Amino acid sequence: MIKTVDLEKVFFGRGQEVRAVDGITSHIKSGEVVVVIGPSGSGKSTYLRCLNGLETLTGGHVHVDGVDLADRKTDMNKVRREVGMVFQQFNLFPHKTVLENLVLAQMKVRKRSRADAEIKGRALLVKVGIAEKEQEYPTRLSGGQQQRVAIARALAMDPKVMLFDEPTSALDPEMVGEVLEVMKQLAREGMTMVVVTHEMGFAREVADRVLFMDYGKLVEEGTPEHFFTNPQEERAKLFLGQVL
Amino acid sequence: MLVLAGIVAGLWVATKRIDYTWRWNRVPQYFFYNNQDVKSATFAGTVAKLESKGNVTTVTVHNENGENSTYIIDTDTANLKADEYLLKGDSVGSISQWKAGPLMAGLWVTLYISAAASVIGLFIGVITGLCRVSQNLTLRQLSITYIEIIRGTPLLVQLFIFYFFLGTVLNIGRMPSGIFALGIFAGAYVAEIIRAGIQSISKGQMEAARSLGMNASQAMVYIILPQAFKRTLPPLAGQFISLIKDSSLVSVIAITDLTKSGREVITSTFAVFEIWFVVALLYLILTFSLSQVIAWVERRLAVSD
Repeated sequence: MIKTVDLEKVFFGRGQEVRAVDGITSHIKSGEVVVVIGPSGSGKSTYLRCLNGLETLTGGHVHVDGVDLADRKTDMNKVRREVGMVFQQFNLFPHKTVLENLVLAQMKVRKRSRADAEIKGRALLVKVGIAEKEQEYPTRLSGGQQQRVAIARALAMDPKVMLFDEPTSALDPEMVGEVLEVMKQLAREGMTMVVVTHEMGFAREVADRVLFMDYGKLVEEGTPEHFFTNPQEERAKLFLGQVL
Repeated sequence: MLVLAGIVAGLWVATKRIDYTWRWNRVPQYFFYNNQDVKSATFAGTVAKLESKGNVTTVTVHNENGENSTYIIDTDTANLKADEYLLKGDSVGSISQWKAGPLMAGLWVTLYISAAASVIGLFIGVITGLCRVSQNLTLRQLSITYIEIIRGTPLLVQLFIFYFFLGTVLNIGRMPSGIFALGIFAGAYVAEIIRAGIQSISKGQMEAARSLGMNASQAMVYIILPQAFKRTLPPLAGQFISLIKDSSLVSVIAITDLTKSGREVITSTFAVFEIWFVVALLYLILTFSLSQVIAWVERRLAVSD
């Protein structure tokens, strides 16, 4: 589904160069739930943002469904409509109602009629459990509700894979559960997911595979049982010792 | 309130001292006046028909060549009889009509110039503002050059250049030169306001839109600009109010706007104080209405806060 080969992303600034992602080769298979964990500044989010071309690559390749994002001729917009993304800060459109947030891209990008888009939008709002808020503006919703709308908005495009960039990090603790519940349900339905998170419980319960990153490098990968009970690398042991 | 009353009283005493005679009664005729239009026969002939309807009478004059002509006059000025013979140029009667005086005409010209210049200014401003934040270096440099040149030179000088230089070279009249000069002047300021508005929208909005597969212009049109527009309404309102006031400068290139009509009325009435007060009040009415309209739009847009 998504393959990265020697993926590299270097930020230049004030005479320094930061190798945020430093040569990552990975393969996310269809239907798989991959959780990316690692300390702050390890390049997890940058890695994720490379997968849908929000960051331009410094080197290497990202193949989404066989299409190479490093190729300049690739139509990024076409790739992105197949790759849903959920952000830490929700990034709902504040000037649109909840339903409009779900309908807009369907109409403009997928060229669906308003009626079809609204049917799809309402169905997804029911799925994430906030059907009664469809006419509200995002600022009136709690963080957890906003994040669920953001998930529904991404799903409305019928993506083949969903990327989650620390979806619960900006939430009050009591709202984390409702968002994770929606994500677990998605995983059960067989959605391909790549999740950057600090929720170890979620990683353990839902992930098919865990990628551990540090300093832009892929340090260790494996199944959750293997990773959480018997990590091989020193850095991973240290990290787990601190968070568990 | 007391301070205001004090100031007014002080001014009143001061004007008493210089023996100024207030003639407010001369002012209204420059808003509207009753115009007597005398109709005279365009050719010699006999009155064929006199038809009175209320206070208006229609007179039909007929000559031997079979030509007819009709005149519409006030009934009380019609002292003709049927079959009366009229020579060419004879008075048939007259009709009185209420007409807009110079102050109303000037107000209309000011309103027209300001509205046209606002539309041009907003259009140029949005385009330039977008160029200003574009990735393309050429577009960015061009827009910066435009903004710096326009903001760095006086509007009065720009008006002269537009009228005397561009107006002559490109052969455009004073009205279009005035409107374009004002519009291009306002555009530079609007561009900076729009740029500030776009840059104040968090990067996440653009990323969210792009991650849904929208292209850059769709994201700009549907996501970024509506939010930026809402945020920049207060400074935009200020800019357009400024534009209305700045439009008074077009009087120097002989456009009869409100300011110039005021000056013309003064030359025929010598009511200097009254007319300038009236002119100021008329500008105030324009700007106040505009700020009310924008305040209303702001309230409408505030529903999503």
